[in-house]
Amino acid sequence: MSSLIPKATYSAPDLDESKIFTPGDGIHTTDGQTTQISDIVINAGGEDRDKPTEAKDTPLGHLRAELTTLQDQINIFLTERMKQEKNKQSEQEEADIERRILDDGVDEDDSD
Amino acid sequence: MTVDLDQYVKPGKGHYIALGLEGSANKLGVGVIKHNIGPLSQTNRAEVLSNIRDTYVTPPGEGFLPRDTARHHRNWVVRIIKKALIEANIKGTDIDCICFTQGPGMGAPLQSVVIAARTLAQLWNNIPLVGVNHCIGHIEMGREITGADNPVVLYVSGGNTQVIAYSKQRYRIFGETLDIAIGNCLDRFARTLKIPNEPAPGYNIEQMAKKGKHLINLPYTVKGMDMSMSGILGYIDQLANDMFGKQPKKVIDEVSGEPITPEDLCFSLQEILFSMLVEITERALAHVNSNQVLIVGGVGSNERLQEMMKLMIQDRKNGQIYATDERFCIDNGIMIAHAGLLSYRTGQTNLINDTVCTQRFRTDEVFIKWRDD
Repeated sequence: MSSLIPKATYSAPDLDESKIFTPGDGIHTTDGQTTQISDIVINAGGEDRDKPTEAKDTPLGHLRAELTTLQDQINIFLTERMKQEKNKQSEQEEADIERRILDDGVDEDDSD
Repeated sequence: MTVDLDQYVKPGKGHYIALGLEGSANKLGVGVIKHNIGPLSQTNRAEVLSNIRDTYVTPPGEGFLPRDTARHHRNWVVRIIKKALIEANIKGTDIDCICFTQGPGMGAPLQSVVIAARTLAQLWNNIPLVGVNHCIGHIEMGREITGADNPVVLYVSGGNTQVIAYSKQRYRIFGETLDIAIGNCLDRFARTLKIPNEPAPGYNIEQMAKKGKHLINLPYTVKGMDMSMSGILGYIDQLANDMFGKQPKKVIDEVSGEPITPEDLCFSLQEILFSMLVEITERALAHVNSNQVLIVGGVGSNERLQEMMKLMIQDRKNGQIYATDERFCIDNGIMIAHAGLLSYRTGQTNLINDTVCTQRFRTDEVFIKWRDD
């Protein structure tokens, strides 16, 4: 059923054009890479009793599996964006530290 | 004048059926309730058609993280709903309204459950949605199950500690915790002692406390009608770390000269915390001139708390204590269905764009349209 193929669009002020996500071809499952249980639980000796059920071979079942793929793509994309944002912030902070040390906190542009 | 609860009944129907979804913390609950038309009374009680719960359990020493709890709810919600419908012997289209916990609670778990509610409402021909305050769910279900008419409510759970009384269509908060909830205090101490989280950390503390013999000195922090527990937790955690940490230190009971055990610590923590609860509840009873206490919330299933409350209430004229068992005390879907259905019967429903969950949602924000006493 082609009408049940999910699609997601992401736009943000700093992006020139919207990013479109589609599940694409391939094998889709409900066992997403980015929706696993936390390592903290596993490292503490826990087991994963909450795995999702497998997708059924029905239009809704296929939609579930494809949505999981889509969710993985979005999660990876957004995590990457957050990382970039964080890097930008720390670069900015480093520049601030350098400026404070070299200029003793005095911004020449603001001095008048 | 009594409130007309049947203005919105479907033509030709003599009853209402509501589905309730709860997931504000680590329990995922789904319940189906039936109300016959007419006011609820001793002869016209709400009927529990099903009440299924699944709890997200973590290894000893670990709390439940929002992300993994939400994942638990997401991955179980469809299975649990199916089970609840089968047990209630109804179809989705028999339902008058879908009720969900709108808050207070943990953001991510609340979100997972509301998505299920919205999806089902749309799948089943736009069934009305009703957002329910979790605390109101506990109170209304407690009243319905026990038959308590107008009690002072002690609401004690992992996320909430409040003393509540009804006045002029609001459940008003007379006293509450100033920092952490009582269940949170007990659960976190269970983590310090590495007590298992199954079936529940509080239950395991209760069992250990039964074997405790020595009462150790802990801070007692009632402040007016409110109480504070983080300092007590900090104190007893430090004591436990000293006793069972890397360099264990023996602590001796001053009276008997016997060593203090983990059981003694559990016993002492319970005794002190529960005494504080009894004190503020008794004061609230005096304020509102009531003689009924209803205990709700997960910690309300603690038998020692019930016993201590009973000792206090017995000294009051015609004093009565009401409590429910774990099916209704511990978070469940049926209470959400029940309180949501009362809302629905007075015409209060949520449009889909008004179903956003909120982590902060105080008990006294809700207008209790179904009561006018």
